[in-house]
Amino acid sequence: MSPQRSVLIVDESDESREVLRTALTRLGTRIYEARQAAEGLELARTCRPDVIVLDLELHGGDSDWGEFEAAARQRRTPLVIIGSARRAGMRVPGGQFIEKPYHYAPLVRRIEDLLGEPL
Amino acid sequence: MPSLFVIRGRDQGTRFEMDQDTVEIGRDASNSVQLHDTEVSRSHARLRRTDNSYTVVDLDSSNGTFVNGTPVKEQLLSSGDQLQLGRTLLLYTGFAEPSADDLDEMIDIVSRRPANDNSRIVRSMSQEEGSALFDLSVDDTRSPWLARARSNLQIMYRTALAVSHTLDIDQLLSRIMDMIFEWVEADRGCIMLKQPESGELAPKVRRHRRGAKTEQRITISQTILDYVVEKNEGVLTSNARDDDRWNPAQSILQMGVREAICVPMQGRYDMVGVVYIDTSTSPQKLLQQPGSANKFTEEHLKLMIAIGHQAALAIEDTSYYKAMVQAERLAAVGQTIATLSHHIKNILQGVRGGSYLIEMGLGDHRQAAEREPVDSPKLIAAAETIRKGWDIVEKNQQRISTLVLDMLTFSKEREPQPVASQLNDMVADVVELMQSRADEAGVKMDWKPDPQIPVLLFDPEGLHRAVLNVITNAIDACDGRESGCVTVSTSYAADAALARVMVRDNGAGISRDDLENIFSIFVSKKGGRGTGLGLPVSQKILKEHGGRIHVASEPEQGSCFTLELPAVQPQPAERHTMVQNSK
Repeated sequence: MSPQRSVLIVDESDESREVLRTALTRLGTRIYEARQAAEGLELARTCRPDVIVLDLELHGGDSDWGEFEAAARQRRTPLVIIGSARRAGMRVPGGQFIEKPYHYAPLVRRIEDLLGEPL
Repeated sequence: MPSLFVIRGRDQGTRFEMDQDTVEIGRDASNSVQLHDTEVSRSHARLRRTDNSYTVVDLDSSNGTFVNGTPVKEQLLSSGDQLQLGRTLLLYTGFAEPSADDLDEMIDIVSRRPANDNSRIVRSMSQEEGSALFDLSVDDTRSPWLARARSNLQIMYRTALAVSHTLDIDQLLSRIMDMIFEWVEADRGCIMLKQPESGELAPKVRRHRRGAKTEQRITISQTILDYVVEKNEGVLTSNARDDDRWNPAQSILQMGVREAICVPMQGRYDMVGVVYIDTSTSPQKLLQQPGSANKFTEEHLKLMIAIGHQAALAIEDTSYYKAMVQAERLAAVGQTIATLSHHIKNILQGVRGGSYLIEMGLGDHRQAAEREPVDSPKLIAAAETIRKGWDIVEKNQQRISTLVLDMLTFSKEREPQPVASQLNDMVADVVELMQSRADEAGVKMDWKPDPQIPVLLFDPEGLHRAVLNVITNAIDACDGRESGCVTVSTSYAADAALARVMVRDNGAGISRDDLENIFSIFVSKKGGRGTGLGLPVSQKILKEHGGRIHVASEPEQGSCFTLELPAVQPQPAERHTMVQNSK
């Protein structure tokens, strides 16, 4: 039996986190949540999630995605980035960029696909 | 303050005020006048202050700088000049003329006449009397030349009056045609205007002299039209030749004589169309009155050219005024929406989140009810009521979401973000998204992807919207019709470097008249369902990609919309990303 998979959600919006948490835990996935980048980076380091979902529009600027990208790359964790517009030169290795406003069904499906992939 | 106002192009409606001595124009953000136009060079042109105006200097741009349609390297601008860079057309307004305040100091209105001025009223004349300058009843019979000159002057005066102050082009053309028929003994006539999109001539007004026995259709030789358009010259044609006119053996005596005048409508900047009139003289009449053949003379031609010019000026003024009003209105709407954009998106996101959970909950409920049937009829009825209500909420939240996103796209708040993507995947997503709407309308949807399409560079979110709007229309066109069917397909032409998305329906079709307006903003033929934003948005997105939308439609047969996209293949580095993404 495979160990329980986990997803880290870094998103300022309580509602968005709640929707994703409800949808993903229903399928037996473990969820870590963070409202802020620093908190998210800490969780990424300590909890080693299988997928990270990052909303770029965090309070106090969104320059932190580079750090998440580095952290994700280091552990080869797929990163799903959500934002209003793709930044020029943005590369999301092994992950996805999703533009706001997005539909939840495809997002959840994508996260599940990434969880299902063998390491 | 001098300004540049964008009257055509992606930045339509933007006004750039110039308070610096040099103003840089280009695509880069470093320019003080930044144009979002892929055909504009990064650093395209410079405006340099010279005394009381600006001089435009082309900075070796790839596509050149045009002033009033002429390519220039360096040119002093005057107010009202049109500057064309790439696909963007800008109107230059120079420094203001000395204001009324200054004039007040130069002109005095005094109640008492200065002692040394003995001026008094010698003669007064009413407005009507002044216009009688052109009245033919005056004693002109002695000089036919003077009579003709006066008559021509009168015609031009009346043309000028007729074409001023009208904002309805059709009405204006109709007036001009009426007047031409008053002055020239023409049997038939028409005015054709150049279509701004295709550059082709399309007939706009058509007239017949009452009682004229001629066939209904006007046939105009393409050679003559080409001559008039290319040389920008008026022509007088006749099928009779001077030498053989009275030779009874000639076919003229069987066919009669046909004469025509075709003149360009030359405006300030461009040729806007042509005016055509013709007349024919029957063989019988030719025999009775030998002199009746030459109905059209050089004099008529001159007059027609002058009328054509007047009409063209009026048409240009009217269309520029309309474009300006439209542009300013759109700019205001766009700005308002762009300001609210962030909030709007967050609200939409919240609504979508809630909807998703409700949908999921209802699905779970149904599954649970199937496994262990609920025996309380009240609970079953309650669940059904929720489902019914929810379907309505869901449908309407999708509609408002589409409307808002179309408005955001149209307000140019969003920059296209080309990334390496699979066209087929993107279209498949849209087809899947629209499936429920098609089911509800009883419309069958077919999806035929072309497997040969390579990974291409385009903005997937933008194009998603463009395709979605076209498919939505196709489904709506079939709604309520028997065996409605929408076929979505893709194709790829490697030689022409074009990728196409075709959306074909067998629905209501579009009438020829409506076809002209389908891309006009806020024009909808869908009643309460349409916002008049869908197709303009789709077209805007395709244009931003350097592509276009082609429409073929037959009323009651259906329509076929083809979205044509230049196939740009990504550089190897970008493709690498794509391969990783698609895993």
